[in-house]
Amino acid sequence: MAHKQSIRRFRSWYATLLRLYPKPYRERFAEPMEQTFNDLLRERAQQDKGLFGFALWIFIETFAGILRETLMTIPKHILRPALLTAIIMLFPIFGSLYVNDWNWHWYSFVFAGSLLFTAALGYELVARRMSNKTYRLAVGVAVITAFAMNWANFAVGIFGEFDDIPTKPFYWGVILIGLIGAAVVRFKPRGMMYVMAAMAIAQMTVPVIALIVWPVQIRHLRHVAFPMLFAPTVAGAFGANAIFAALFIGSALLFRRASANRDALTA
Amino acid sequence: MAKSTTNVPLTPAVLHILLALSAQERHGYGIMKLVESDSQGKVKMGPGTLYGSLGRMIDAGLIRESDKKIDPEMDDERRVYYKITALGQEALGAELQRYREVIAVAKRKSRQPGIAYGS
Repeated sequence: MAHKQSIRRFRSWYATLLRLYPKPYRERFAEPMEQTFNDLLRERAQQDKGLFGFALWIFIETFAGILRETLMTIPKHILRPALLTAIIMLFPIFGSLYVNDWNWHWYSFVFAGSLLFTAALGYELVARRMSNKTYRLAVGVAVITAFAMNWANFAVGIFGEFDDIPTKPFYWGVILIGLIGAAVVRFKPRGMMYVMAAMAIAQMTVPVIALIVWPVQIRHLRHVAFPMLFAPTVAGAFGANAIFAALFIGSALLFRRASANRDALTA
Repeated sequence: MAKSTTNVPLTPAVLHILLALSAQERHGYGIMKLVESDSQGKVKMGPGTLYGSLGRMIDAGLIRESDKKIDPEMDDERRVYYKITALGQEALGAELQRYREVIAVAKRKSRQPGIAYGS
């Protein structure tokens, strides 16, 4: 009698768990799975064996199945960036939990996760369409540079606090040039070379504008990204931007090589 | 759409399910119990693994669902039965042939001096 009640209760919980399966899978297998679970429990009860541990194992095993089936319904070009983002985000999560003075707000996690996922998805969508390894490398350099630049700009601040030198929106412009340019040239390697060069120029234009518009503030900088490399000086502000510009130029050179390879193949 | 699976080595779960269905059609619980007894308790599948594998095997055309019916040895609930297809038989045959070939190679090698398998 006690077993019957336990079986009924476990079966009801199991039916609830099965609702987590994707709908097509659930419609196909939920009923037979529930029956099988019931059969297994009844067999255990007849042998007068404990039910709780066994039911727990089945719940865990089924939950693993739910994860597997759910992941299989996600397209690979979304799944890979999502998994990469999840793995990388484990570092700040553990950092916040166990490292002193590492206290991210929840919105920092959302921002970092969104930025990472967007960068990884961007690479996946663009680079995977091309078999040319140099082209993929060029896209990789461009995406990582754009990610690092955004990260430095929003999370750390490339230079200046927002109130003193409001340059942060200018860096959105650099990214916008890249996005619009890539769409205009339709991701063709030769066109992408010019887009990357334009991004490098735009990147170096920001400290020039800052120097012209906010000369006093920039001479009294309190902060520059990469403080280990650059002191908060005018040269430091240019140096921090030059790193990103150099990487965009590097990407441009890789796109040029990818274009030359393609020309050689089609000649 | 059925994929060609006869040239691809089968996973242990798929192999055991095909073996369980090779003689007659069975329901999920029946497959699970037969796999457990055939493997002398070494292979234990929970419903998550079993039905995940069954779904993929149906999609690959190795097995198919047959009608729901009551198992006279159990209760009066109607159960879905699964049946091996011709492609499933072919895949199982190919896999068993692969095993025979591996065993033949192992036997040949075990006759050579200085090579011993097992303890």
